[in-house]
Amino acid sequence: MDTIRTIAALVAFAVAWVFGAVGMVGLYRFPDPYAKMHASSLCGTTAVFSIMVGALALAPSWDVAARLVVIIVFFLVSSPTGGHIVARFAWNSGIDPWKAPAPPRRWLRRPAPGHEDGADG
Amino acid sequence: MLDATQWFIVACAALALVKLVFGSGAAERLIALNVLSALALAFLVIKGVDEGRAIYLDVALVYDIFGFLGLLAVARFLRDKPMDDDKE
Amino acid sequence: MKPDRAWRLIRMSITALVLYALWLVFTASADLFSLLTGAVGSLAVAALTHGQFIAGHEASLRSFAPRPLALAGFLAFLIYSMYASSFAVLAAVITGRISPRVVHFRTRLNSDLARMVIANAITLTPGTITLDLNDDHLTVHWLLATTRHSRAAGDLVKGRFEERLKRVWS
Repeated sequence: MDTIRTIAALVAFAVAWVFGAVGMVGLYRFPDPYAKMHASSLCGTTAVFSIMVGALALAPSWDVAARLVVIIVFFLVSSPTGGHIVARFAWNSGIDPWKAPAPPRRWLRRPAPGHEDGADG
Repeated sequence: MLDATQWFIVACAALALVKLVFGSGAAERLIALNVLSALALAFLVIKGVDEGRAIYLDVALVYDIFGFLGLLAVARFLRDKPMDDDKE
Repeated sequence: MKPDRAWRLIRMSITALVLYALWLVFTASADLFSLLTGAVGSLAVAALTHGQFIAGHEASLRSFAPRPLALAGFLAFLIYSMYASSFAVLAAVITGRISPRVVHFRTRLNSDLARMVIANAITLTPGTITLDLNDDHLTVHWLLATTRHSRAAGDLVKGRFEERLKRVWS
């Protein structure tokens, strides 16, 4: 039984390591605050959730396990709330989302300067 | 395994702290703060399981419930001010 | 008994039961003193705050009491889709290929609680973040957008959650 629990915790922690590291890379790599928000939710939600599941598998007693379940349930509510507060702050303060540069279109002439916004797609 | 994960959380938190201090714009810093609070929560949970003491988990639960209140306060405060470093 | 008084009593007892269950989990002891203190405390807190816990204008128990089996299914699906979209975002971070876009769509869910839950579920899965929720109108930032058509985007982002949530809160 202990072996199964250790293996389950090891798998969960390995998943958390991968997501945490990649989320941190994305936090430094992505171009604008919204995309960074997605990367940060990789690190701040999925990795933390995996760590909690691994801790639940290793819980030494029943009262610790019950508290962990309550913490996980509240985390499923509170983590999106924090992300939504940040996202709404960025949206309300007028930060424009970064757009992928449009691929070059050879069969059209280039749009006049100052009209790039209306001519994508 | 638990020790290694604790060190990993500390490393992630250090990176997030760098982003929090040297980030460009208020939104990026708030994102770093959000990640930092989630990592602090994970650290409390894993420390509580490591030492087998439930008191850490009580602290973690309160941190979990009220963690976003600080974020809300900072967002409110910054929204009412004109921001000059917001767009890089 | 008048219906609104009965409804108030039901709300108060539900609040007290939830608070007492949390008290039992968090004290984890069966002392007589602890049990009594918890009962008195949760009754007092429920009498003061049941209006915040369950809003008075909710039509009936039906509109916020979830079906337990469907709720468990929804939670399992939520965790599954969190991991699935985490892998998609992971690939996007590594390759650096993203196509972010802001999409607007409407949800067909009726109660405030269900709308809040679907906004939370959309934000919880990496790759989609709810920017704004106005009545039934959602503004979502989508990292790996494949379409710009509003209804198709809505189906792709919320469709999986919406049909399950309809079964939880009818």
